[in-house]
Amino acid sequence: MNNQGVAITGYGIVCSIGHNSEEFTEALRTGKSGVSQLKDSRTGLGVNIGAEIKDFSLRNYLLDANFSIDMINRVKKMTRRAPLMMETVVAAALQAMECAGLSLEQPPTSRTSIIVAGSNLSQNLNFNTAERHFDNLEFVSPNYALQFFDTNIMATLSELFNIHGEGYTVGGASASGNSALLQAYRLIKTGYADQCLVAGPMSDLSPIELQSFYNLGALGGNGVKDPKAACRPFDADHDGFIYGQGSGCLILESIQSAKNRGADILAELAGGAMILDGNRLSDARESGEVAVMKKALLESNISISDIDYINAHATSTPLGDEIEARSIKSVFKNEINRIWINSTKSMTGHCLTSAGIIELIACIEQMKNGFIHPNLNLENPIDPDLRFAGSHSINVEIDTVMSNSFGFGGINTSIILRKSDH
Amino acid sequence: MNMSKNEIFEVLLESIYEIVPELEGEKITIEDSLQDLGANSIDRAEIIITTLESINVSIPMIKFGEAKNIQDIVEIIDIAIDELHINS
Repeated sequence: MNNQGVAITGYGIVCSIGHNSEEFTEALRTGKSGVSQLKDSRTGLGVNIGAEIKDFSLRNYLLDANFSIDMINRVKKMTRRAPLMMETVVAAALQAMECAGLSLEQPPTSRTSIIVAGSNLSQNLNFNTAERHFDNLEFVSPNYALQFFDTNIMATLSELFNIHGEGYTVGGASASGNSALLQAYRLIKTGYADQCLVAGPMSDLSPIELQSFYNLGALGGNGVKDPKAACRPFDADHDGFIYGQGSGCLILESIQSAKNRGADILAELAGGAMILDGNRLSDARESGEVAVMKKALLESNISISDIDYINAHATSTPLGDEIEARSIKSVFKNEINRIWINSTKSMTGHCLTSAGIIELIACIEQMKNGFIHPNLNLENPIDPDLRFAGSHSINVEIDTVMSNSFGFGGINTSIILRKSDH
Repeated sequence: MNMSKNEIFEVLLESIYEIVPELEGEKITIEDSLQDLGANSIDRAEIIITTLESINVSIPMIKFGEAKNIQDIVEIIDIAIDELHINS
């Protein structure tokens, strides 16, 4: 088995607080909340707030970003009648490729792979199609047969960028992003690929999924007057997660490949781990969270004294936040006074299947620019022993980061990112 | 429902421009084939279904398998409309 170091050489993002990495970083630094009333509020829906992607059009994005007319036509042709999910993930992928210095017109390559994070990524399209064709099934769009498969995202990116290596869709509920990163990491580490485009399309939830989360008691923001105050990870008044939309893409690459083509290494993925609780329900468990953080450290050959900052899963759910806080204390012991903790979800909402991708991009930006972003709405921390970021960002040099994602069904993941010395 | 072949062609044209917007401004004749105009397999199915929905007539897609050009598609729809009249 080869033992390649794994670099991150590019990334791109479209989410509620920024339509590219510059806007996203500025929003993280200033503590901008993406939460507001949903555009499509529905009567009967328990909670009508969320952090949605607003005012985004792929067409305008392509025109503003000065792509060649040829490329614009190619992208437009491939994304005709595509939902917002596809438009935003394509934009994020284009940003990531450009950021990594990879040509958009490259010859076919089988040394590059694609991994898409998430499952059931077209729920809103499904809902709208069902609503429209309930009484006239004979006119259902043939295109839907392609679109409803999650692999359509992988296939579209593969055609767009001429990528002919391996392709997978990796689902892991709210831990999908980290699960996909782990698989991409292993493809590179073991030498099966030189580069891997890891795509996290936004979770495109329909009113059905939103209401089922609400009926489960998982959704927060009940009766809140100011939507921006609804998402409050680690705060005593947290009452559930707030739905967020965000598409993000990363380019993972072997250190050797990055060096060969003279690419900038933005950070290194040191390693990570997944541990299942053996529990199909939605409740978080301390044993699994503790075990996965320890395993991620071990796999990455990183000690607790190396970690400067933890990007917590922290969804603003009372039980989830409390268990993660306890787990972090259990793993990091005396180091907890020193290690900064924040939750990107306080700004972006919970991006569910893409959360791990969005949050890793937040980690890279904070590492690159030397700051820790705020924890919005953290007024009364549930645990006074932990070093939570406050309401403003702080300038701090960060070398090593842990990013946690936990999903329904007892899926615990933790990955570790570090500054590169290459 | 009473439609001339020319009217069916007009509805089909609208669908073509809607599904393949790049063709906007290009002259399309009834002899053209959708494939030659640049419509891929999904576009072609989409154009036919959109047209059938606009006219509100249901025809199994399999019947269009032999169609070589737009003319053939118009003929198949025209026959189906006639049959509807006979049966109603």
